[in-house]
Amino acid sequence: MAGGKVATGVEGMTQQGPPRWMDRLLRCSLPARDREAISGDLLEEYLEEQAPRLGRMRANLWYLRQSASFLSNRSFGGPPMKAALTWMSVFVVVAGVWLASMENILKHAGYGERTAIAACIAIQGLATLLVLFLDGRLAFRALVLVGAASLAIFGVTAIKRMLDAPHFEGFVLVISIALIVQSVLTFALMLRTRHRGTV
Amino acid sequence: MAELLGTFEQATLLAVWKLAEEAYGRAILRGVQSALDRQVAAGAVYATLDRLEQKSLIVSRLEEGTPVRAGRMRRYYCLTAAGIKAVNESRAALEHIWQVAKWPLESKV
Repeated sequence: MAGGKVATGVEGMTQQGPPRWMDRLLRCSLPARDREAISGDLLEEYLEEQAPRLGRMRANLWYLRQSASFLSNRSFGGPPMKAALTWMSVFVVVAGVWLASMENILKHAGYGERTAIAACIAIQGLATLLVLFLDGRLAFRALVLVGAASLAIFGVTAIKRMLDAPHFEGFVLVISIALIVQSVLTFALMLRTRHRGTV
Repeated sequence: MAELLGTFEQATLLAVWKLAEEAYGRAILRGVQSALDRQVAAGAVYATLDRLEQKSLIVSRLEEGTPVRAGRMRRYYCLTAAGIKAVNESRAALEHIWQVAKWPLESKV
């Protein structure tokens, strides 16, 4: 085992260990119970094995991959409802970005307002992902719940308008249903779980 | 017979057993990689350790961290009697299954 490099605290870690933001990302993706132990294990492995063997840049990539493995295990290996909400949030983000992009390419009348709505949809999806994995603070969760309620209202309104419209638009129906499902899942999961730092 | 363990769970439990007093996260990760002869994501190993602990096949304790890990605590793992029994049963089950055939299997077609 390679040795010699010793981190002597937070400052030492930022000088010799992985970048501070990577360490924060890892720690945020870990359950509170194992935050110290697991981040310590990976820091030790980084300093004693990966960085001397691979160099800093590739060692940083290694560290990032390990952090991602915790995120994926916590999301897709966790309770089914959390996995469903994760997938749905990712879909909502992609849908929001796609809608905003299309509005800006086509530039039909009123596209500015619709772009803003699409951006809000994407932001709500992102905020839900943040609450799921990074920040469980009560105020932020409340904000996400308000956003989820707005999504549901928007989804129902969009379906109603589409049914009244002369022609059927499949993508509006799909995205609207996704918004409603996202909203229901957000309420079900966040009201069910107690505040524990992360959902 | 209790629920049989998967290959990854067996590799993890055997790494904990082999490391004995030195069985903490990083050492177990390296032990599992060595046993399976491939790179393994840390998240998969810790998730397995968590699951095994919930099944009471291992127990863990926290101990002081070393300076190289910025003083962060180490979590040490230890097999319980139920853990040892589960590993033994898994091995026995595998051997029982293989009694009907000679390894390596040859095509009958």
